Amino acid sequence: MAKLVGVFASSHAPLIIRGWKDVKPANQESLTRSMTEIGRRIKAARPDVLIEIAPDHWVNFFINNLPSICVGVGEEHEGPGEPWMKDCPYKKIAGHPRLASHIVETALERDFEPSVSHHLTLDHGFCIPLWRGGLDPLPPIVPIIINDLEPPYPTVRRCLQWGSMLAEAVRTYPEDIRVALLATGGLSHSIGEPTMGEIDEPFDRECIRHFEKGDERPLVDFLSERLPTIGNGAAEIRNWVAAHGAAGKRGFELIGYCNCPEVYVGCGFASWNLGATA
Amino acid sequence: MRDYWLGKLFFDLQSSPSLGAEYRADRKPVLDRYPLKPEVRAAVERDDVPFLAARVNPYLLRFYFVVVGMPEAEFLGKVKKAGAVTAARSSHG
Repeated sequence: MAKLVGVFASSHAPLIIRGWKDVKPANQESLTRSMTEIGRRIKAARPDVLIEIAPDHWVNFFINNLPSICVGVGEEHEGPGEPWMKDCPYKKIAGHPRLASHIVETALERDFEPSVSHHLTLDHGFCIPLWRGGLDPLPPIVPIIINDLEPPYPTVRRCLQWGSMLAEAVRTYPEDIRVALLATGGLSHSIGEPTMGEIDEPFDRECIRHFEKGDERPLVDFLSERLPTIGNGAAEIRNWVAAHGAAGKRGFELIGYCNCPEVYVGCGFASWNLGATA
Repeated sequence: MRDYWLGKLFFDLQSSPSLGAEYRADRKPVLDRYPLKPEVRAAVERDDVPFLAARVNPYLLRFYFVVVGMPEAEFLGKVKKAGAVTAARSSHG
Protein backbone atom coordinates (compact mmCIF):
# COMPACT_ATOMS: atom_id res chain seq x y z
CA MET A 1 0.00 0.00 0.00
CA ALA A 2 1.09 3.59 -0.57
CA LYS A 3 2.31 5.72 2.29
CA LEU A 4 2.02 9.47 2.90
CA VAL A 5 5.58 10.51 3.76
CA GLY A 6 5.37 14.28 3.95
CA VAL A 7 2.91 17.18 3.77
CA PHE A 8 4.17 20.68 3.10
CA ALA A 9 3.04 24.19 2.17
CA SER A 10 4.78 27.03 0.41
CA SER A 11 3.89 30.46 -0.90
CA HIS A 12 4.43 31.05 -4.63
CA ALA A 13 4.55 34.83 -5.15
CA PRO A 14 5.39 35.59 -8.81
CA LEU A 15 7.65 38.49 -7.82
CA ILE A 16 9.97 35.94 -6.17
CA ILE A 17 10.97 35.35 -9.79
CA ARG A 18 9.81 38.41 -11.70
CA GLY A 19 11.02 41.00 -9.20
CA TRP A 20 13.70 39.15 -7.21
CA LYS A 21 16.37 41.83 -7.66
CA ASP A 22 14.10 44.36 -5.95
CA VAL A 23 13.55 42.17 -2.86
CA LYS A 24 15.48 43.44 0.18
CA PRO A 25 18.53 41.28 1.01
CA ALA A 26 17.12 40.20 4.40
CA ASN A 27 13.89 39.07 2.77
CA GLN A 28 15.79 37.36 -0.04
CA GLU A 29 17.72 35.45 2.60
CA SER A 30 14.56 34.51 4.53
CA LEU A 31 12.67 33.36 1.44
CA THR A 32 15.64 31.44 0.07
CA ARG A 33 16.20 29.69 3.40
CA SER A 34 12.54 28.66 3.68
CA MET A 35 12.14 27.48 0.09
CA THR A 36 15.42 25.58 0.22
CA GLU A 37 14.31 23.88 3.44
CA ILE A 38 10.96 22.87 1.95
CA GLY A 39 12.81 21.40 -1.02
CA ARG A 40 15.29 19.63 1.24
CA ARG A 41 12.48 18.05 3.27
CA ILE A 42 10.60 16.93 0.18
CA LYS A 43 13.77 15.31 -1.16
CA ALA A 44 14.47 13.72 2.25
CA ALA A 45 10.98 12.17 2.21
CA ARG A 46 12.00 10.37 -1.04
CA PRO A 47 8.56 10.57 -2.65
CA ASP A 48 7.80 8.39 -5.66
CA VAL A 49 4.94 10.77 -6.43
CA LEU A 50 4.15 14.31 -5.33
CA ILE A 51 0.54 15.44 -5.05
CA GLU A 52 0.55 19.20 -5.53
CA ILE A 53 -2.38 21.47 -4.75
CA ALA A 54 -2.36 24.96 -6.26
CA PRO A 55 -4.73 27.47 -7.84
CA ASP A 56 -5.01 28.07 -11.57
CA HIS A 57 -4.07 31.67 -12.41
CA TRP A 58 -6.32 31.86 -15.47
CA VAL A 59 -4.14 29.47 -17.45
CA ASN A 60 -6.26 26.32 -17.82
CA PHE A 61 -9.71 27.66 -16.99
CA PHE A 62 -11.87 30.70 -17.57
CA ILE A 63 -15.37 31.64 -16.40
CA ASN A 64 -16.95 29.67 -19.26
CA ASN A 65 -15.77 26.50 -17.49
CA LEU A 66 -14.49 26.89 -13.97
CA PRO A 67 -14.18 23.77 -11.83
CA SER A 68 -14.04 24.06 -8.05
CA ILE A 69 -11.57 21.18 -7.98
CA CYS A 70 -9.74 19.58 -10.89
CA VAL A 71 -7.45 16.54 -10.72
CA GLY A 72 -4.77 16.16 -13.39
CA VAL A 73 -4.91 12.51 -14.43
CA GLY A 74 -2.70 12.69 -17.52
CA GLU A 75 0.67 11.12 -18.26
CA GLU A 76 2.27 14.49 -18.89
CA HIS A 77 1.61 18.14 -18.17
CA GLU A 78 3.05 21.35 -19.56
CA GLY A 79 5.47 23.50 -17.60
CA PRO A 80 4.70 27.14 -16.91
CA GLY A 81 3.96 29.39 -19.87
CA GLU A 82 4.39 32.78 -18.24
CA PRO A 83 7.12 34.66 -20.17
CA TRP A 84 8.93 35.53 -16.95
CA MET A 85 9.10 31.82 -16.06
CA LYS A 86 11.13 31.08 -19.22
CA ASP A 87 14.20 29.99 -17.21
CA CYS A 88 12.20 27.45 -15.20
CA PRO A 89 13.69 24.03 -15.98
CA TYR A 90 10.34 22.22 -16.13
CA LYS A 91 9.13 22.27 -19.73
CA LYS A 92 7.21 18.96 -19.55
CA ILE A 93 6.14 17.50 -16.22
CA ALA A 94 5.36 13.82 -15.78
CA GLY A 95 2.05 12.95 -14.18
CA HIS A 96 1.04 9.75 -12.39
CA PRO A 97 -2.22 8.61 -14.00
CA ARG A 98 -2.70 5.55 -11.78
CA LEU A 99 -2.59 7.40 -8.47
CA ALA A 100 -4.51 10.33 -9.96
CA SER A 101 -7.29 8.03 -11.19
CA HIS A 102 -7.43 6.30 -7.82
CA ILE A 103 -7.83 9.73 -6.17
CA VAL A 104 -10.72 10.53 -8.50
CA GLU A 105 -12.39 7.16 -7.85
CA THR A 106 -11.96 7.57 -4.09
CA ALA A 107 -13.37 11.08 -4.32
CA LEU A 108 -16.47 9.84 -6.14
CA GLU A 109 -16.96 7.14 -3.49
CA ARG A 110 -16.80 9.88 -0.85
CA ASP A 111 -19.38 12.09 -2.57
CA PHE A 112 -17.01 14.54 -4.25
CA GLU A 113 -17.40 15.16 -7.98
CA PRO A 114 -14.10 16.65 -9.11
CA SER A 115 -13.36 17.73 -12.64
CA VAL A 116 -10.56 15.84 -14.37
CA SER A 117 -8.00 16.96 -16.93
CA HIS A 118 -5.73 14.74 -18.99
CA HIS A 119 -3.39 17.62 -19.81
CA LEU A 120 -2.84 20.67 -17.63
CA THR A 121 -0.44 23.57 -17.82
CA LEU A 122 1.22 23.96 -14.43
CA ASP A 123 1.73 27.67 -13.91
CA HIS A 124 3.97 29.54 -11.47
CA GLY A 125 1.75 28.50 -8.58
CA PHE A 126 2.86 24.92 -9.08
CA CYS A 127 6.39 25.54 -10.27
CA ILE A 128 7.97 28.32 -8.20
CA PRO A 129 8.14 26.30 -4.96
CA LEU A 130 9.52 23.26 -6.82
CA TRP A 131 12.06 25.31 -8.75
CA ARG A 132 13.25 27.41 -5.83
CA GLY A 133 13.25 24.33 -3.63
CA GLY A 134 15.83 22.79 -5.96
CA LEU A 135 13.68 19.84 -7.01
CA ASP A 136 15.31 18.80 -10.26
CA PRO A 137 14.57 16.21 -11.47
CA LEU A 138 10.99 16.23 -10.31
CA PRO A 139 9.11 13.19 -9.11
CA PRO A 140 5.92 12.50 -11.09
CA ILE A 141 3.24 14.96 -10.02
CA VAL A 142 -0.48 14.60 -9.49
CA PRO A 143 -1.63 18.20 -9.88
CA ILE A 144 -4.83 19.26 -8.13
CA ILE A 145 -6.28 22.66 -8.85
CA ILE A 146 -8.60 24.27 -6.31
CA ASN A 147 -10.46 27.36 -7.43
CA ASP A 148 -9.01 30.08 -5.21
CA LEU A 149 -9.31 32.88 -7.77
CA GLU A 150 -12.92 33.47 -8.71
CA PRO A 151 -15.93 33.29 -6.36
CA PRO A 152 -17.85 31.26 -5.47
CA TYR A 153 -15.06 29.30 -3.80
CA PRO A 154 -15.32 25.85 -2.25
CA THR A 155 -15.93 26.19 1.48
CA VAL A 156 -13.09 25.87 3.96
CA ARG A 157 -14.91 22.91 5.52
CA ARG A 158 -15.11 21.15 2.15
CA CYS A 159 -11.42 21.72 1.47
CA LEU A 160 -10.58 20.11 4.78
CA GLN A 161 -12.75 17.12 3.88
CA TRP A 162 -11.07 16.97 0.47
CA GLY A 163 -7.70 16.70 2.19
CA SER A 164 -8.92 13.90 4.45
CA MET A 165 -10.17 12.09 1.35
CA LEU A 166 -6.72 12.47 -0.26
CA ALA A 167 -5.13 10.77 2.74
CA GLU A 168 -7.60 7.91 2.41
CA ALA A 169 -6.86 7.63 -1.30
CA VAL A 170 -3.13 7.35 -0.58
CA ARG A 171 -3.73 4.77 2.17
CA THR A 172 -5.84 2.61 -0.11
CA TYR A 173 -3.70 2.88 -3.23
CA PRO A 174 -2.47 -0.66 -3.90
CA GLU A 175 1.10 0.02 -5.09
CA ASP A 176 3.88 0.18 -2.53
CA ILE A 177 4.93 3.79 -3.18
CA ARG A 178 5.87 6.85 -1.15
CA VAL A 179 3.66 9.90 -1.65
CA ALA A 180 4.28 13.48 -0.52
CA LEU A 181 1.92 16.43 -0.76
CA LEU A 182 2.72 20.09 -1.34
CA ALA A 183 0.10 22.84 -1.09
CA THR A 184 1.01 26.24 -2.50
CA GLY A 185 -0.28 29.79 -2.15
CA GLY A 186 -1.13 32.28 0.59
CA LEU A 187 -0.80 33.67 3.10
CA SER A 188 -2.38 37.16 3.09
CA HIS A 189 -2.14 39.20 -0.10
CA SER A 190 -4.29 41.20 -2.43
CA ILE A 191 -3.99 41.28 -6.23
CA GLY A 192 -5.76 43.74 -8.52
CA GLU A 193 -7.89 45.07 -5.66
CA PRO A 194 -7.85 48.46 -3.94
CA THR A 195 -5.90 46.81 -1.11
CA MET A 196 -3.23 45.50 -3.50
CA GLY A 197 0.14 45.39 -1.75
CA GLU A 198 -1.31 45.20 1.76
CA ILE A 199 -0.21 42.27 3.94
CA ASP A 200 -2.22 41.43 7.07
CA GLU A 201 0.47 40.00 9.33
CA PRO A 202 -1.80 39.72 12.42
CA PHE A 203 -4.17 37.60 10.32
CA ASP A 204 -1.27 35.50 9.05
CA ARG A 205 0.07 34.95 12.57
CA GLU A 206 -3.34 33.92 13.88
CA CYS A 207 -3.82 31.64 10.91
CA ILE A 208 -0.45 30.01 11.60
CA ARG A 209 -1.37 29.52 15.27
CA HIS A 210 -4.53 27.68 14.25
CA PHE A 211 -2.61 25.39 11.91
CA GLU A 212 0.03 24.77 14.57
CA LYS A 213 -2.58 23.75 17.14
CA GLY A 214 -4.37 21.64 14.58
CA ASP A 215 -7.88 21.80 16.05
CA GLU A 216 -10.39 21.53 13.25
CA ARG A 217 -13.31 23.61 14.44
CA PRO A 218 -11.44 26.79 15.47
CA LEU A 219 -9.42 26.71 12.22
CA VAL A 220 -12.49 26.27 10.02
CA ASP A 221 -14.46 28.92 11.93
CA PHE A 222 -11.57 31.40 11.84
CA LEU A 223 -10.94 31.04 8.12
CA SER A 224 -14.61 30.88 7.14
CA GLU A 225 -15.19 34.17 8.95
CA ARG A 226 -12.00 36.00 8.04
CA LEU A 227 -11.14 34.97 4.47
CA PRO A 228 -14.00 36.99 2.95
CA THR A 229 -12.79 40.10 4.80
CA ILE A 230 -9.19 40.27 3.60
CA GLY A 231 -7.30 40.36 0.31
CA ASN A 232 -8.33 37.96 -2.44
CA GLY A 233 -4.98 36.15 -2.51
CA ALA A 234 -5.59 34.70 0.94
CA ALA A 235 -8.25 32.49 -0.67
CA GLU A 236 -5.30 30.24 -1.55
CA ILE A 237 -5.10 29.24 2.11
CA ARG A 238 -7.80 26.75 1.11
CA ASN A 239 -4.93 24.70 -0.33
CA TRP A 240 -3.22 24.73 3.08
CA VAL A 241 -6.51 23.58 4.61
CA ALA A 242 -6.61 20.62 2.23
CA ALA A 243 -3.03 19.77 3.24
CA HIS A 244 -4.09 20.04 6.89
CA GLY A 245 -6.86 17.52 6.28
CA ALA A 246 -4.52 15.17 4.43
CA ALA A 247 -2.00 15.29 7.27
CA GLY A 248 -4.59 14.27 9.84
CA LYS A 249 -4.97 17.67 11.53
CA ARG A 250 -2.10 17.09 13.95
CA GLY A 251 -0.66 20.57 13.61
CA PHE A 252 2.35 21.79 11.69
CA GLU A 253 5.85 23.14 12.08
CA LEU A 254 6.33 26.62 10.69
CA ILE A 255 9.45 26.58 8.52
CA GLY A 256 9.36 30.31 7.94
CA TYR A 257 7.23 33.42 7.61
CA CYS A 258 8.28 36.54 5.72
CA ASN A 259 6.14 39.66 5.55
CA CYS A 260 7.53 40.71 2.19
CA PRO A 261 6.00 43.88 0.73
CA GLU A 262 8.33 43.68 -2.27
CA VAL A 263 6.45 40.59 -3.48
CA TYR A 264 3.07 41.78 -2.07
CA VAL A 265 2.68 38.58 -0.01
CA GLY A 266 2.87 37.41 3.57
CA CYS A 267 4.91 34.34 2.62
CA GLY A 268 4.52 31.18 4.69
CA PHE A 269 6.25 27.80 4.61
CA ALA A 270 5.29 24.79 6.69
CA SER A 271 5.66 21.07 7.28
CA TRP A 272 2.83 19.09 8.88
CA ASN A 273 3.20 16.59 11.69
CA LEU A 274 2.24 13.16 10.45
CA GLY A 275 2.50 11.22 13.69
CA ALA A 276 3.91 7.71 13.82
CA THR A 277 2.67 6.73 10.36
CA ALA A 278 5.27 8.73 8.41
CA MET B 1 -20.84 41.38 -11.45
CA ARG B 2 -18.71 39.99 -14.25
CA ASP B 3 -18.74 41.22 -17.84
CA TYR B 4 -18.04 38.02 -19.77
CA TRP B 5 -16.52 39.52 -22.93
CA LEU B 6 -14.39 41.99 -21.01
CA GLY B 7 -13.01 39.10 -18.98
CA LYS B 8 -12.50 37.09 -22.17
CA LEU B 9 -10.55 39.93 -23.78
CA PHE B 10 -8.26 40.19 -20.74
CA PHE B 11 -7.92 36.39 -20.50
CA ASP B 12 -6.97 36.09 -24.17
CA LEU B 13 -4.46 38.93 -23.96
CA GLN B 14 -2.61 37.43 -21.01
CA SER B 15 -2.73 33.95 -22.61
CA SER B 16 -1.23 34.95 -25.96
CA PRO B 17 1.97 37.01 -26.21
CA SER B 18 1.38 37.57 -29.94
CA LEU B 19 -2.12 38.92 -29.29
CA GLY B 20 -0.67 41.14 -26.59
CA ALA B 21 1.88 42.53 -29.06
CA GLU B 22 -0.83 43.12 -31.65
CA TYR B 23 -2.96 44.89 -29.04
CA ARG B 24 -0.12 47.13 -27.90
CA ALA B 25 0.52 48.12 -31.51
CA ASP B 26 -3.13 48.91 -32.27
CA ARG B 27 -6.03 48.17 -29.94
CA LYS B 28 -8.84 48.80 -32.42
CA PRO B 29 -8.65 45.65 -34.61
CA VAL B 30 -8.41 43.45 -31.53
CA LEU B 31 -11.30 45.19 -29.77
CA ASP B 32 -13.40 44.83 -32.93
CA ARG B 33 -13.32 41.03 -32.45
CA TYR B 34 -15.06 41.18 -29.08
CA PRO B 35 -18.77 42.05 -28.67
CA LEU B 36 -18.12 44.54 -25.91
CA LYS B 37 -20.94 46.82 -24.80
CA PRO B 38 -20.22 50.39 -26.02
CA GLU B 39 -19.70 51.74 -22.50
CA VAL B 40 -17.33 48.86 -21.67
CA ARG B 41 -15.30 49.38 -24.84
CA ALA B 42 -15.07 53.10 -24.13
CA ALA B 43 -13.79 52.34 -20.62
CA VAL B 44 -11.13 50.02 -22.08
CA GLU B 45 -10.09 52.71 -24.55
CA ARG B 46 -9.64 55.31 -21.81
CA ASP B 47 -8.00 52.88 -19.28
CA ASP B 48 -10.80 53.55 -16.79
CA VAL B 49 -9.60 51.31 -13.96
CA PRO B 50 -12.53 51.95 -11.53
CA PHE B 51 -15.10 51.13 -14.23
CA LEU B 52 -13.26 47.99 -15.34
CA ALA B 53 -12.46 46.85 -11.78
CA ALA B 54 -16.16 46.55 -11.04
CA ARG B 55 -16.66 44.17 -13.98
CA VAL B 56 -13.75 41.76 -14.11
CA ASN B 57 -11.77 39.40 -11.90
CA PRO B 58 -9.03 41.38 -10.07
CA TYR B 59 -6.25 39.04 -11.23
CA LEU B 60 -7.30 39.50 -14.87
CA LEU B 61 -7.46 43.27 -14.32
CA ARG B 62 -3.91 43.23 -13.02
CA PHE B 63 -2.66 40.93 -15.83
CA TYR B 64 -4.28 43.19 -18.42
CA PHE B 65 -2.49 46.31 -17.28
CA VAL B 66 0.80 44.41 -17.18
CA VAL B 67 0.18 43.34 -20.80
CA VAL B 68 -0.60 46.88 -21.96
CA GLY B 69 2.50 48.18 -20.21
CA MET B 70 1.05 50.41 -17.52
CA PRO B 71 3.77 51.08 -14.91
CA GLU B 72 3.10 49.23 -11.65
CA ALA B 73 3.02 52.39 -9.52
CA GLU B 74 0.45 53.94 -11.85
CA PHE B 75 -1.73 50.82 -11.70
CA LEU B 76 -1.51 50.68 -7.91
CA GLY B 77 -2.57 54.32 -7.69
CA LYS B 78 -5.51 53.78 -10.03
CA VAL B 79 -6.72 50.58 -8.41
CA LYS B 80 -6.62 52.20 -4.96
CA LYS B 81 -8.61 55.10 -6.40
CA ALA B 82 -11.10 52.53 -7.71
CA GLY B 83 -11.62 51.43 -4.12
CA ALA B 84 -12.21 54.99 -3.03
CA VAL B 85 -14.75 55.46 -5.83
CA THR B 86 -16.57 52.28 -4.81
CA ALA B 87 -16.57 53.31 -1.15
CA ALA B 88 -17.92 56.75 -2.04
CA ARG B 89 -20.71 55.19 -4.10
CA SER B 90 -21.52 52.78 -1.24
CA SER B 91 -21.67 55.60 1.27
CA HIS B 92 -24.20 57.33 -0.93
CA GLY B 93 -26.55 54.40 -0.81
